[in-house]
Amino acid sequence: MRRVQNVLNWLRSVLRRNTVEQELGSELRSHIECQVEENLAAGMTREEARRGALREFGGVEQVKEDCRDSRRTNHLDNLLKDVGYGLRMLRKSPSFTFFAVAVLALGIAANSAIFSIADAVLVRPLPYRDANRLVMIWEDASAYGFPKDTPAPGNFSDWRTRNQVFDDVAATGFGGSFNLIGEGLPEKLTGREVTANLFSVLGVTPELGRDFRPEDDVPGATPVTILSHGLWLRRFGGDPQILGKEISLNYEKCTVIGVMKRGFQFPDREAELWTPERFTKEELANHGSHFLEVVARLKPGVGLQSVNADLGVIAQQLQKEHPNSNAKVGAFAVPIREELAGDVRPAILMLVGAVCFVLLIACANVANLLLSRATGRRRELAMRLALGATRGRIVQQMLTESVLLATLAGIAGLLLSVWGTKFLATLIPAGIAPMTGTGVDGRVLLFTLAVTLATGVLFGIIPASRVSQFHLAPSLKQGGGQSGVGLGGQRLRDALVICEVALAIVLLAGGALMIRSLRNLYHLDPGFRADHVLVMHTPLPHQKYEAFARRTAFYDQVLAKVESLPGVVAAGYTTWIPLTNAGGAMGVTIEGKPEPAPGQARIPNVRIISKDYAAALGMKLIEGRLFEQGDGFGKPLVALINQTMARNYWPGENPVGKRFKTGGYNEKSPWITVAGIVGDIHQAGLDIPARAEMYFPYQQQDDGFDPEYLAVRTSGDPMALAESARQQVWAVDKEQPVAGVMPLEDLVDDNLSSRKMQASLLSGFAGLALLLVTLGIYAVLSFAVTQRTQEIGVRAALGAQPRDVLRMIFAQGFKLFLIGAAIGLAAALALSRALVHLLYGVSAYDPASFAGVTILLAAVALLACYVPARRATRVDPLVALRYE
Amino acid sequence: MTKPTDLVQGTLDLLILKTIALEPMHGWAIAQRIRRVSNNVLQVNQGALYPALHRLEQQAWIQAKWGESENNRRAKYYSLTRAGQKYLRSEESNWERLSSAIGLVLKTV
Repeated sequence: MRRVQNVLNWLRSVLRRNTVEQELGSELRSHIECQVEENLAAGMTREEARRGALREFGGVEQVKEDCRDSRRTNHLDNLLKDVGYGLRMLRKSPSFTFFAVAVLALGIAANSAIFSIADAVLVRPLPYRDANRLVMIWEDASAYGFPKDTPAPGNFSDWRTRNQVFDDVAATGFGGSFNLIGEGLPEKLTGREVTANLFSVLGVTPELGRDFRPEDDVPGATPVTILSHGLWLRRFGGDPQILGKEISLNYEKCTVIGVMKRGFQFPDREAELWTPERFTKEELANHGSHFLEVVARLKPGVGLQSVNADLGVIAQQLQKEHPNSNAKVGAFAVPIREELAGDVRPAILMLVGAVCFVLLIACANVANLLLSRATGRRRELAMRLALGATRGRIVQQMLTESVLLATLAGIAGLLLSVWGTKFLATLIPAGIAPMTGTGVDGRVLLFTLAVTLATGVLFGIIPASRVSQFHLAPSLKQGGGQSGVGLGGQRLRDALVICEVALAIVLLAGGALMIRSLRNLYHLDPGFRADHVLVMHTPLPHQKYEAFARRTAFYDQVLAKVESLPGVVAAGYTTWIPLTNAGGAMGVTIEGKPEPAPGQARIPNVRIISKDYAAALGMKLIEGRLFEQGDGFGKPLVALINQTMARNYWPGENPVGKRFKTGGYNEKSPWITVAGIVGDIHQAGLDIPARAEMYFPYQQQDDGFDPEYLAVRTSGDPMALAESARQQVWAVDKEQPVAGVMPLEDLVDDNLSSRKMQASLLSGFAGLALLLVTLGIYAVLSFAVTQRTQEIGVRAALGAQPRDVLRMIFAQGFKLFLIGAAIGLAAALALSRALVHLLYGVSAYDPASFAGVTILLAAVALLACYVPARRATRVDPLVALRYE
Repeated sequence: MTKPTDLVQGTLDLLILKTIALEPMHGWAIAQRIRRVSNNVLQVNQGALYPALHRLEQQAWIQAKWGESENNRRAKYYSLTRAGQKYLRSEESNWERLSSAIGLVLKTV
């Protein structure tokens, strides 16, 4: 009760200040008049009585001030006064204010933008229940060149039944294509065949309808499907009556039983519908065909280590039970967030570090400015101290000013970061972005606020503490206070510049390494020519194209029609265009070579292609011949192999004309003759080296993979042919969906986009740092020149040449640069190890990069020294001596 | 407090509270009353009195009301709040314990 009254009283004192002040005045006046009357009664004259009363009362203003103190309204008053004063000071020096606010705003904006990204990738919760108990399980087939392989159904099934550590294990197949027909154009949807328990493992339930049941997931069960929220809205207009409706998927009637919640996606955002996997017993015993993605929910309290130990035990059992398929195949689990964030995590952490450096440099810069200003304001502050201001009040005032600056910068920075976050959103891996969302939210606001305040206090505290320490008498005695720069102040400013230089070197070195990596990748020969190639994706639905002859007829006709288009140089089909699939491999047996030991099986990539695919892609023929018209159905089986396969499987021999077959030694598959050797292609990614790889003509390969990608080499702009090429496909089959129409160059760009983004961001930050450091060195030196005007004048009067003065100022500036550069290089060498994963073809200690950035910064530092040094040489001794 | 009667810190609050416990009083009268009752030993300085009054009011031990003084002037009359009455009682007993303890020490040593 009393506390409430307490607060009410305080509020009244604050809010009704005028009334309270008036009351205080009249209260004291009434006191004095009482005294006057008493004095009159004692026999004094009116005049004497009045004077006596006033004398006895003492300083009325002092008493009033004490009363205000008692009411504790003074803090607020002081704060308001400081803010007002601070604003006036900032307005009075607009260029200082603009510069300081701009520098800080850039730092803060970069920080909150990068934080938003880091937040989305690393922090925000995933739309699965207890997502920290979810892991993805992979096969480790490093021995065959697949360190992270998609598991085989047999392994999945055994993990599921034998493990000790999981609540349950679920799987999804490849991102399959589902041709949706009826109600509008035929559309190719990406969907997943999943085990019935997938959603319960993820801990999600459909928003509408029901989850899959075990009986949906057996061979021969009625086909059912669950739609994504997006597909339901887009294609079915959010129809609430959708449940129970039959839709035509891949020429099969399929009942919609559920719709997922908005924002749910698994395993990536491509998947728009899910159907049961309906594995047969035979399929569940297959250990050799690797195409699943497996997710598991850990039992409560189980750690990643025991999971991996348990998976290791099972993998060993399987190695013994199935030596043909499982020799040297291990298994491991990856937490689902790590899986989704992918390899972006180190890049994001690198950027968070870099952006903190930028902010630190910005702070150092502004602290330096404030420090210089505080030194200029010595006399003002000394005067205030002399007039009775406490040091605490002065510190408070200086801090208020710096926090004020930071607040202005924070507001500007926030506006900038809203824009910056949109720009940076491409950094978020597709797998995670739509689930956690991006953009500036309350947490980013809070973060910015915290950064702003911390910045304000950080760069305010140094000048403030220095001011509060200085000695009153010398400051006042020094008159103009110009020649008497405390040595300590200069040293502090020097230290700040040294830090800036060091931080900038670290950033510049990182940026240089990233740019060199990017350049290496762009100049690397991927084995194909991406220019002037149009890519289209036309996966054939199995039900309709069950018959081999029907498929080959489709390819024959489409290729003939497309090749006849004007402007087409060559057209070819392939199972996977480069950069779209890392896997797709098949075991082979080489004629005349001993059977390899378990774990050293030969499993090259396989691509089924058409005759002119090599020409369309611009592949190089090294040896032998490419496919010809004669390599058709029923003719001798032929293959092309790449250089890696030739080198590894026929070391020291010419493989052309030699034979091999698919499958193991005991298999009765026919022999295939090597017709030619082609150059290696970077199939899995530009920064990933080529594996052994073989190519078969589609006319001769009936099982396994179907060609899905059409590559068209054109003489002009490839996209100009997009529409007519699409029409040619529809001329062959008007129900055939065509997707992913794009120039091959886009795929290359996409493959490098995250690297490009990382490199440009880091170098952007480095550039910003360079600019800030230049300004920092310039500011410190020109301040020093101003402070030393008198000294320089004396030297000039005593006969110093402009050259000597120039050298003196240069030496002062360059010394700072050298110390900073030494520290920075040491730090950069230590920190660049963190970049190793982000680099390509360049060492983390690349001497050229380090030397280059040092020289660059040195040149800039020289420039920053030159202007103030030049000014120093123009000092007129006579003017200088009268300077104060 | 004027010398030579520097009192233990906090005693001015006690004196003020006790003085206005009888009836609402304005500042000048409080000072006069304390002086008179203490036979001119305790002279309360205005410089201490008013900040103390404002502090006690801020803390809601006492409350103020404007009224007419004896000679028809507007004056600010202070009186105890309910919490103030309780506070006064506890402070009084504190004071008595303290002074009797000091008395004991002075007598025996």
